[in-house]
Amino acid sequence: MSIATDAAPEQKQRSPLSLVWLRFKANRAAVASGIVLIVLVSMAIFAPFLTKASYEAQNYLERGLETPSAEFWFGIDDLGRDFFSRIVYGARVSLTIGFASALFSVLIGIPLGALAGYYGGWVDWFVMRVIELFSVVPPLLAAMLLGALTQGGFLTVVVIASLFGWVQVCLLVRAQVKAFKEKEFVRAAVALGASPTYIIRRHLVPNSISPIIVGFVLAIPLAMMLEAGLSFLGIGVQPPVPSWGQMINVGMNFMFFYWHMAVFPTLALAVTVLATTFFGDGLRDALDPTLRDR
Amino acid sequence: MILFIAKRLASTLITFLIVSIIIFLMMHAVPGGPFDGNDMPVSEAVRAKLMAQLGLDKPLYVQYFKYMYGVFHFDFGVPFQSPGETVLELLARAWPASLILGGSGMLIGVPLGILLGMMAALKRNSWVDYLASAVATLGLTVPVFVTSMLLILVFAVWLEWLPAKGWGEPRNWILPIIAYATIPMATYARYTRSAMLDTLNKPFVTVLRAKGLSESRIIFQHVLRNSAIPMVTVFLPMFVGIATGSIFVEAMFRVPGLGAYFVSSIRNRDYPLEMALMLMITVLFCLSYLISDIAYAWLNPRIRLDGRKS
Repeated sequence: MSIATDAAPEQKQRSPLSLVWLRFKANRAAVASGIVLIVLVSMAIFAPFLTKASYEAQNYLERGLETPSAEFWFGIDDLGRDFFSRIVYGARVSLTIGFASALFSVLIGIPLGALAGYYGGWVDWFVMRVIELFSVVPPLLAAMLLGALTQGGFLTVVVIASLFGWVQVCLLVRAQVKAFKEKEFVRAAVALGASPTYIIRRHLVPNSISPIIVGFVLAIPLAMMLEAGLSFLGIGVQPPVPSWGQMINVGMNFMFFYWHMAVFPTLALAVTVLATTFFGDGLRDALDPTLRDR
Repeated sequence: MILFIAKRLASTLITFLIVSIIIFLMMHAVPGGPFDGNDMPVSEAVRAKLMAQLGLDKPLYVQYFKYMYGVFHFDFGVPFQSPGETVLELLARAWPASLILGGSGMLIGVPLGILLGMMAALKRNSWVDYLASAVATLGLTVPVFVTSMLLILVFAVWLEWLPAKGWGEPRNWILPIIAYATIPMATYARYTRSAMLDTLNKPFVTVLRAKGLSESRIIFQHVLRNSAIPMVTVFLPMFVGIATGSIFVEAMFRVPGLGAYFVSSIRNRDYPLEMALMLMITVLFCLSYLISDIAYAWLNPRIRLDGRKS
């Protein structure tokens, strides 16, 4: 017995986490997006140190509408504000809304998904009907109504995005819980007299951690897109708080003469959404290769 | 089959009623009324008279039942923002522009997407595959107003080949149609690729190859037909989904279509128009899901809708 062990080629033991890391590392697009995301997040965190002027400091009497220069990298907007600082602070708004909405989506989605998956029956039926209701109303239209209802604003956008973001997380968790509740270890726990809440909290939710992470990461770009769309229509984040969607809407009126006002918010939004999506896709493939291409 | 359709129609009707109540309540919960804005400053007495005339002084449930009674008789009321016509007439006037855009976008986007997806699946990990993935990701993740903005910047501002906005000449249609086409193209590139890959890995394809069938016959006669199911089923929901995209594309290119009314009806508290638009989208969504479910069963006889085991 011991001889056989000695003779076997040395095989490094890998933890599941390091396997995930290996798979993630192999995905070049995901790694590059991860780096872009780190840059964006640090830009958002250290915004005050990166910018010369506040995003709302106006100087339109002396200077307004200037194309990029060495002094103002992204130019000056129509109200005489440093456009670079507006873009940088815009990252703060976009990312905060993305992360906060994803967090709330997960917080709503996990309990509902776990309950529906574990209990089945009428609980499942009820949750699925609610999801069905959410799927026949296009999120954008409902968001527009809700946005008008609450007059827009930062918090409203987060609420709207989470209200539509939890569905995906809920479905993922439900599927995972349904698959796991028939496993031997759960039945053993039931036989030992563990309560349903204990089983869900201690066994089923921890085992759903990969779909939860996937749901979380994929909810971020959706929320950011919703925010940009609503702000573009004027019912999302309200000025003077800078939002890229809102800036694109304003920039549209100036684009023939002052291209910078349209180009920079457009590129910023495109890069951020793409980076989060690629990062999320990479993480999904790394955490659970069976979910690929879905 | 008939039982299934009847059941689904009934559940669609219930969903429709629930959605209509929710939308109606939300719509009226929005603070302000149709005559509170700055566009139409009216005195208190005139306002009260107008509200009474339009029946807005009645309790909400009366208004709801009155409106829904009209809806089931194809009477959607008169839009507050253009009282000279009915909601249906307004929709009929605005519809063609949206239809030209959406229809042409689909006509161009769907075949291109299928072609791209097919080429990507057949030549896996080649440059075509990477191109298809890039197109699919860009089209599905980047908001359509960002795509539109980039198109305008490149073709209208920088190259000055095409007009950035307007309607009337076919020249004006090119950019918005391209912007529209990115959505179906991306959707179809992705679905076709994964459906074809799925089918290509099935054992029957290996059998066909072993039989010595030519590769083109395998692809066109067998693989494509077996991959068609997901491609057919995503079509209708996507078509309706494009309706919400129209809000952005039409705003970007200043197209006088339906899109602008979604925003303006909410802004102006134009209750009849708002309700009509929302209900229209909901009905289209429900119906498109129903039709794709039926199409799915029809294309794939292994699926039995009424739950009986065959």
